[in-house]
This record gives sequence, C-alpha cells and structure tokens, in this order.
Amino acid sequence: MSQEPKTGFTGRRRVRRTSKMVKYGDMMARTCITVGGVGTILAVGLVCVFLTWKVLPLFQSPKVESAKVVQVEANHGKIIHLDLDEFRNISMVVYEDGTVVTQDIATGKKLQELTLVPDGKKLTAWSFGIGGKHMMLGYEDGSTRVGDLGFSVRFLEKSEAPVAAQELEIGDVTAVDGVIYSKTPEGQLRSQFAKLTLEDPIAPDKDSNGSAIRLIDHTIFNESPIYVTLNDKGDLKINRITRKENWMTGKVTFSVSQGDLPYDTQSHADKPAYLKLAGLGDSVLVSWKDGFSQRFDTRDFNKPVLAETLDLTPQSNHTITALQFMNGRNTLIVGDSSGELSAWFRTKPEGTETSDGAVLTKAHSLPSGNAAATAIAVSSRSRMIVVGFADASAAIYQVTVGNQLVHAGIKDSKDAVQAVAMAPKDNGMMAVTNKQIGMWNVDPKYPAITAGAIFLPVWYEGYAEPTHVWQSSAGTDDSEPKYGLYPLIFGTLKATFYSMLFGLPIAILAAVYTSEFLHPRVKAWVKPTIELMASLPSVVLGFLAALVFAPFFEKFVPSMLACVATIPLSFLLGAYLWQLLPHELAIRLDNIGDIAPSPTEKVNPLRMILFKLGGVRLVCLFVMFALSLVAALALGTPIEHLLFAGDVKRWLDGQIGNGIGAWMILLLPLSGLAAAFVISRVVNPKVAAYGDTRTRGKVAVLDLAKFLLACVLTCIIAYAVSALLNGIGWDPRGSYVDTYVQRNALIVGFVMGFAIIPIIYTIAEDALSAVPTHLRSASLGAGATPWQTATRIIMPTAMSGLFSAMMIGLGRAVGETMIVLMAAGNTPVMEMNIFNGFRTLAANIAVELPEAPKDGTHFRMLFLAALTLFAMTFVVNTIAEAVRLRFRKKAIQL
Amino acid sequence: MGTNPVMDKSMTTTESDLNTAATTSVTQPDDRDQLTLEQIAACDNFKSEIHDSLYQETSIINVKDFNLWYGTKQALFNINMPIAEGQVTALVGPSGCGKSTLLRSVNRINDLIDGLHIGGDMLLNGTSIYDKSVDVIELRKRMGMVFQKPNPFPMSIFENVVYSLRIDGERNKGVLEEVCERSLRGAALWDEVKDRIHESALGLSGGQQQRLCIARAIAAEPEVLLMDEPCSALDPIATGKIEDLVEELRGEYTILMVTHNMQQASRASNYTAFMYLGRLVEYGPTRDIFTNPHLRPTEDYISGRFG
Repeated sequence: MSQEPKTGFTGRRRVRRTSKMVKYGDMMARTCITVGGVGTILAVGLVCVFLTWKVLPLFQSPKVESAKVVQVEANHGKIIHLDLDEFRNISMVVYEDGTVVTQDIATGKKLQELTLVPDGKKLTAWSFGIGGKHMMLGYEDGSTRVGDLGFSVRFLEKSEAPVAAQELEIGDVTAVDGVIYSKTPEGQLRSQFAKLTLEDPIAPDKDSNGSAIRLIDHTIFNESPIYVTLNDKGDLKINRITRKENWMTGKVTFSVSQGDLPYDTQSHADKPAYLKLAGLGDSVLVSWKDGFSQRFDTRDFNKPVLAETLDLTPQSNHTITALQFMNGRNTLIVGDSSGELSAWFRTKPEGTETSDGAVLTKAHSLPSGNAAATAIAVSSRSRMIVVGFADASAAIYQVTVGNQLVHAGIKDSKDAVQAVAMAPKDNGMMAVTNKQIGMWNVDPKYPAITAGAIFLPVWYEGYAEPTHVWQSSAGTDDSEPKYGLYPLIFGTLKATFYSMLFGLPIAILAAVYTSEFLHPRVKAWVKPTIELMASLPSVVLGFLAALVFAPFFEKFVPSMLACVATIPLSFLLGAYLWQLLPHELAIRLDNIGDIAPSPTEKVNPLRMILFKLGGVRLVCLFVMFALSLVAALALGTPIEHLLFAGDVKRWLDGQIGNGIGAWMILLLPLSGLAAAFVISRVVNPKVAAYGDTRTRGKVAVLDLAKFLLACVLTCIIAYAVSALLNGIGWDPRGSYVDTYVQRNALIVGFVMGFAIIPIIYTIAEDALSAVPTHLRSASLGAGATPWQTATRIIMPTAMSGLFSAMMIGLGRAVGETMIVLMAAGNTPVMEMNIFNGFRTLAANIAVELPEAPKDGTHFRMLFLAALTLFAMTFVVNTIAEAVRLRFRKKAIQL
Repeated sequence: MGTNPVMDKSMTTTESDLNTAATTSVTQPDDRDQLTLEQIAACDNFKSEIHDSLYQETSIINVKDFNLWYGTKQALFNINMPIAEGQVTALVGPSGCGKSTLLRSVNRINDLIDGLHIGGDMLLNGTSIYDKSVDVIELRKRMGMVFQKPNPFPMSIFENVVYSLRIDGERNKGVLEEVCERSLRGAALWDEVKDRIHESALGLSGGQQQRLCIARAIAAEPEVLLMDEPCSALDPIATGKIEDLVEELRGEYTILMVTHNMQQASRASNYTAFMYLGRLVEYGPTRDIFTNPHLRPTEDYISGRFG
C-alpha cells in the first residue's frame, strides 16, 4: 500500500517540486525585465552622452602649428600686400614698386616675379579686394587700372606635366619653372601658379591735371567697379564705371559717373591716411592718422553729403596704424599704435540725425596685442581676421564674439609685420616682415561659438545693441551666422505657457467633472472618447491649426476675444438661471440623470434620452456653450467698434485707437475678482437678512441680480482703470498685445492645448478616481456637495497625481514639434505678444537639421539645441517627480 | 392591499399599513414556528416578524416596502421597519444579507452606484427620503455616518472634526474650536489628542481614527447616526471604547448600527434586527431576540448554529 501514491483531499497529489520549465520561465522573465529596465536607463543615458559628444567639440580651443618661416627672396621696398593660395603652398608678396614675388613656402624658393606697372608709371595707390582677386591701382599720372591678381589652379593629364612632376606620390609637392605641382589625395595632378591680368588704364579726368592718386578703395557692384580716389591735389572723388555691352554689335562701352566728397581740408595739416568705401558704395570713410574721420553718405553719387564726423581712436595719443573692412564692407576693424583693436559698424539707433540715419558705432573691443597693429587681413568666408603686430607676431580674432583665437610670432625676430594674409579656407595665417615670411597652419575649430555667444546678448553687425538672435543661415556669404539659443528657448517656453494656459484648466476641470460629477454610465464613454483624442497625430492638429483655425481666427479676431469672456459668463449665467427653477422641479430634473428608472417603471422616451446623455444639467451646459458662441459672434463687431476703433488688426498694430481696449482685455479677469470682492463684502452683508427670510425662488432672483450687478461692475472697474492707465500714457500694445500675425501663439496655445488635454485629463482623472471611495463617501455622508467634496477632499488627496498630470502635459508641450512647426510661423522673435509667432527648439531642429552640413558649426548647434531641450524636459520631469513624491508622502497612509 | 389570506393570518402586528405589499409569488409557510431558512429565501415577499414593543416606541425612521435592486439582482426585499428614536438599533445577519445596503440606503449614499434602483420609500421624521423632490445634500446633513474602515480625511484632526462646519461656511474660530472640543470629548478622544489636534489625523491609531470619525459625525449635529460595522477593523480594546461611546451617546442620538458581532449587538443595542438574504426576518428588543426569539432561524443564528 505504501507504494501507491498518497492522494490528497481533492483526489490529486500535488507535485511539490517546482518544475524546471517554471524556474526557467521565472529566470527568463527576470532577465528580460532587468535587461529591459537597465537598457531603458542606458538608452536615455546614451542619448544624453551622444548629444553631449556631438556638442562638446563646439567649445574646443583652436590649434595652431609652429610656424614655417622662409626668408624673403627679394627686396623691392615696402610690402603692401600679402596673399596665400588655398592649399597653403605659395606666398605672394606685393611691393610698393609694383613687383609681385611668389615663393614656394616649403622651400622658400622664388617662383615667379610679376609687375603691376607694365608701362613704367609709378604705382601710387592700391586697393586689393576682399576674398577675391580683384584689385584697383592708382598711378602717378592720375590714371587708374582694374586688374586681377591671384592664383590659378589647373588639373593636368600626366602627359601635360613636366617630367619632374609626373611621378609625384600623393601629397608630394614640387616646383618646376615657377609652377607648383602636387598630387591630390584623389590622385589628380594639380598645378598652381600666380596669375595677373591688368585691364587698360582708365584715364584721369580733365580737371585733375594729372595729379597722382594717393589713396584708392574700390568695390565691385554689378560687375562694375565703384571706387573712391584721393589725389595729390586733394580732390576726393567717388567714381562709378558702368559697363554696357551692345547686344547687337557686342561692343563694350564704359560710362563714368562721379561725385566730389566735401571733406574737411582745414583741420589737419597732413592728408587723410585712409580712404574706405563701405557697403556697396553707399558710404565713404576718410580717416586721418590721429583717428579723426569723416563719413559721407554717397547714396546719391552726384551729390555726396557729410553724414558724420567721429574719432576712431578715442584715446588722444593713439594713432591709427591699420584700418580694414571685413568681408561685406560693413564692419570696420581699427588697429592703433598701442595694439588696441576695435570693430565698428553702422547702427541705426532711434533719433539719429545723420543724413542716412546711421552712426558708425564701436561695437567690439578685441583683446589688444603687445605692439602696434600694423596690418589687418580678413577672412572671406567667416568673421575672422588676422592682425599683424609690430613685434613680428600675428593673431587671429573672431570679431563677433570678440575672441583672440591664436597668437603666434616669428621666432627670433623683432621686425614689424608689414602684411598679413588669411588662408582662403580659414585654416592658416601668414605674416611677412621685411626679411621673413611666417606661415602657420591653424585649426580654428568652431570660432563663432562660445558659451557667451550662445546664452548672452551678442552685438551683431548692424544691430543697434547687443541682442539674442538665432539666424543660422542667410542669403549671402558675408553675413554673420547668429547662434543665440535664447529666442528658441523663449519660443519653447512661450508655446508651453500659452498651451498650458489653455489646456491645463480645461483638462483638470474636465477630469474633476468626469470623476466626481458625471454619472459612471456616461463616464464610461466620455473618458475613452477624450483618450482617443490623444491618438490624433499632432501633424494633423498642426495642419488643422495652420490651414483651418489660423485663417478662421484671423477673420473673427474680436469674436474670438469675446469668447474668452462669454463662455465662462454663459456657464455662470446658466447656473444662476438654474437656481431660478422651482426647487422641486430642479431636484426632479437632477434626478432624471442621477436615478435610473426602475425596470418595472414605464419611462417616456425624452426622459430616457436625457438620462443617457447624463442628465439635464449637462445638456443645459451644452446649450449655454452654443449660446455663448453665438453671443461672441454677435458681439464681435460691436466690440471691435467700441474698443478697437473699428479695425482690430490696425488697432493692434498701433495705427489707430488707444490703449483702453488692450487694458480692458488684460484687466477683465482682475476686475472680475475685484467685483466679486465688492459684492461679497459690501452687498452680501446688506442682503443677508433678506435671504434668510425669503423663499428659495426670491433668493435665486437676488443671486441673479447680484451676478448681473457683478458683471456690470466688472466692466465699469475695468473701463475706469483702463482709461486711467491709458490716460497716464501706458499702452500695453507693443508688449503683450501687438501686431496680429496669422500664425501666432494664440493659435498654437489653442491647438497644442488640444494635444495635451487628453494626456493631462487621463492621468488626472485616474488620480482622482484612485482616491479611496471611503473618503468620498465620508465627505458626501457629512452632507458636502460633490463640488465641496472634490475641492476639499478629492483634489488635495490626489494632488500628487494631478501634479504628475500637469508635468507630463508640460513635458509634451515642451517637446511638441509638428503643431508649432506648422502653426507658429517659425520666426525666432522674442516678444511676449500673444498675437505673434515664435520658433521652438524642437521645430528649429526639425526645420534646420536637413540643411545643416554634417559636423559643421550649425549642425553641432542643433545638437546643442537638442541637448537643451533634453535638459529642459529632464529638469521638468525631475522636479515633477520630486514634488509628486512629496504630495504622495502626505497621502500614503490612506 | 394584502390579498393573501395566508399572509394576513401570520401577521403579528395590528398595524394594517405594514401590510401593503406587492403581490407575492411564493406562498409563505403556515406555521411560522417551523419556518426554515430555505422557505425565507424562496419568498419574495416575506412578512417580517416584528415584535410589538417596537410600536410603542416613537419611530424616527420608518422604512416602508423598501425594495432595492443592483441591476437586475434584487438585494432588499420588501423591508418594513420602524426605527426607534434615541435608541440603538443593531442590524445583524450573515454576510451578504443586505444590512449595509439597507443602512447606506438611509442616507442615499448608494445613489451613485450604477444600475441601482429602488422601490418603496423611507421616512425620516415623517418626510420622505426617496421622494423625487428631496435634496439629497440636505438629507445627508441630517445624518452622520461612520464607516467600517476608519476614514479620516488626510488633514489635521481639527479640520477633520469641523469638516461639516466648514462645508456649511462656518468661519468663526471660536465656534469651530468649541465644536471640535465638544465633539472630541463626546467621542472620548479629547484627552488623547488635545495636544496635537493640528497634526495629521492619519497619525492616529485605528481605534482613535474610528473615534475621530464618530466625533466628526456628531460635530454635524445629526438626527441619526449610521454606523456600518464600526468595530470590525479594530482590536478588542478599541472595540470596547467604541461600545462605551455608543452607550454614552444613546439617548442623545438615534443610532443605527450594522454589526457582525453578536456580543456587540447584545451589549450595545436596544433593538436588534436579524436579516437574511435581503429579507428582514425578525426585529425586536435585543433581550427578546437573544433570549426568546420568535422564529427558529433567528434562534439558530443568534446561538451560532449557522452563519
């Protein structure tokens, strides 16, 4: 018998050993969950690490290699210009006698010698173009000449090359007969040499009497040069050569238009030392050694006028030693005898009285060198400059951020640098003294980016003051990219603020309503319906916002503004009207929704429909809502006439009307509170006795009267205060309310509010419903109304959940992309104006990432934007969790 | 009107209005002494055994032909029950017999349960509880309720006690403090908590919390105090304190109490009602119910032979 397995009470014997499959399953589950959990944390961590890894190079400091120094191969007097080819193989030195000497930087050997004076006339003035080969020369007889001086690159077949160059290895460089041959990494054979072309001289005009050109500056506009000249006689002229090609005969004719600049010839004994043509020839600057300068407005070529007189070296004992325009000819770099460097450009502050409305303003002071700045060269592709100093050193600066990037000197030399050059690809600088040429390979990394440039106001070219600007790309090469993240952060916060302003109260109140007021039977379909809203793709919402709501809003601006007042007021009015119902009828109507008809009872169909719809009150609420919309539409035009001078858009623009309307909008909620206060403190005590003795119906009438009185009072208070504030001269237009733009924060707030409502609603509703029923019963059992129960017991208890809901909504709003992308207009402006657009971090990344070159400054800045977004949501969520835990601790014992 | 002669014959009361019952589908047994639980369970229209002495009392609540359904499931069958003013009435019976449902119907706290509907009515001091024109909020203000599990609000002891005053808009601090102290004294809690009435009520022990809930209920000056198994979550010492409290409150308040504890019912109540499967089986003075019940099932239950 003992062999037989003992059966238990249920007739089966339980195997007490846990089966291998179960253990295996247990282990697998634990492993999967661990891997999943740790993996999630790891993934988030890696995202952060990846973003940081992409961003960090932005803040690397520039690198400079030690100099290659070669001896100058010739001596033809003062050096007036230095140039460097894009592969950093050839140096080009231009002497004042017109000789051009190129040298192989690797060996120091002379390659070519060219001349700028083919006809033997003495060179007296020169102007070398920025970032181009174009130059303009002036001669002793008063004639001028346009020319090109630069490097020419050709790719050769093997057979075309000289024998010495045919067998080059990749990377090798050799010089043959003044031409540099090199093998590119792609295996092509490349030849480089200096090339000079000179056009026919332009004869001096008759009244100059052949006086020598002393100073010249030129720029190219529409392929024809505009230039200013100063001759020995003291004539300062602006000239423009217009080139016309007869399309029938192909004959080219030139016409010259000319104007005299009435500069100050009296105050200084010496002649002006510098002559600079700004912009596209619309302004000319004449400077003397001591810094005294005159700027002329030359927009009208035939009639230049003096715009302003200023001093470029405010310290009296300093003299200008180098003066150069940056690329684009807007920013002027002034180097003085003490080594101080400053950047100036024209700004247009309000109230300027110069003829062109602009003043030349000192915007940046660059870190000064140890000796006089003797030469300045500028980059043709960025905001960098090279400055040569009198102590045989040279430095690269980034002008926008005002940084010195590198500073290096020629070893064992004390000679002053006579000319400097920036490598065309910004990857090197060159300086020449009268004996040596120094060339440095430089890796500037990301010179335009510093923490200050991103987060502090920066003074960009042409702006009246330092500001935060995001403008990562522009139409022209000579513009300054502006990487201020602030406008994007501001836009993100603005979008979040307005959408939360709209979405949060609605979502929370809806959650309270469904969890505490709505019959469970109605809630059973209302909640899933709202949750379904969350599945609406945000691109669809954005699309609706941009193409449906925005034009609709624009059409009915005053009505939409009226909605803000009419909707809550109509609900309140509805509540007061409800009180007017005979008490018994009101209770009966309430019971229709609350008490289910018993199965034996015969129910009339209307009552059944009302029951299914959640009761009479809810239906009335919808009716009042519809009425409020109608009222808003009807009130639109009268309000527009009353407050907004008949045309709300022109009014917002500040063209017509006064600030009363704007104050009214802002002050209505406040004066509503004030009116309620007045009613409760002044009117209520007086009528309290009345309420005690009268019937319910009469009290209801009294309540309605008080409500209407409060409405009127609100309007009166708001109008009085508005008129007062307007009278003082404050007009809110220009700040919170300003010019109406079709795609604006209001639209985004409205539509993004819809995107975040389902999330906030669901979590908040769950939190409220999770409050133990026994608390609800206790409160209701004590005779509290559902609203009292909700506000005094349920909401405080569920506060941690409500807070989580709010924060998750906030996180969603911060990171939301498509809606703001489509509906916010994407202009990175920093204005509180609710009727204006903005650009958020997320939308900015979405818009710009496809066009940002990989690993460039812009690309990495977008990663920084992403990192900022990451940090913002991380901070928001961390705070949310901390606060949530605090609230939870309070309620944990329940 | 009663059309069933069998039913009329079995009546123990002279009150004819108690006889108003819906038509019955199942015949009641002739000999009530031999009545079995099965017969009670099979009867939709059971005629409760109500002792005469109840009709000598002034009744504050009068339950009349009360039926209640959760959806299609009927939970209460034709309850007729007067509740004596100023006395303690205990509702006993096995789990699921509808004691709590009946208690919770008195202040209509069941209203929001989906699918719940009722037939018949209850009268509180002569006014209907279930009439369609009754303001349920005002109704609940007339009753205090103490639940099975202590359910203090997550706020201070003080705020818990004066909750009903707060919702009525009472702001006078003197009044609030006076009511708080009196109520806490009434609930025999004052000496234990007087030094910390502004601390969280959740820090109290279970028994203290329950007495706090009673204090909260009596602070509202109710006409009736409804207690739904107030001691089931408490240890014997705390239970003893609550029972002493009930003893003290007797006379001041009408107390309707649901309990599973026979000893408690016998100790604390004046009247006891025995319910079974939604029917009120027998209802009378506690001494009679425990010593001399009229019906067999009552005796079996009281003596612990079933349930």
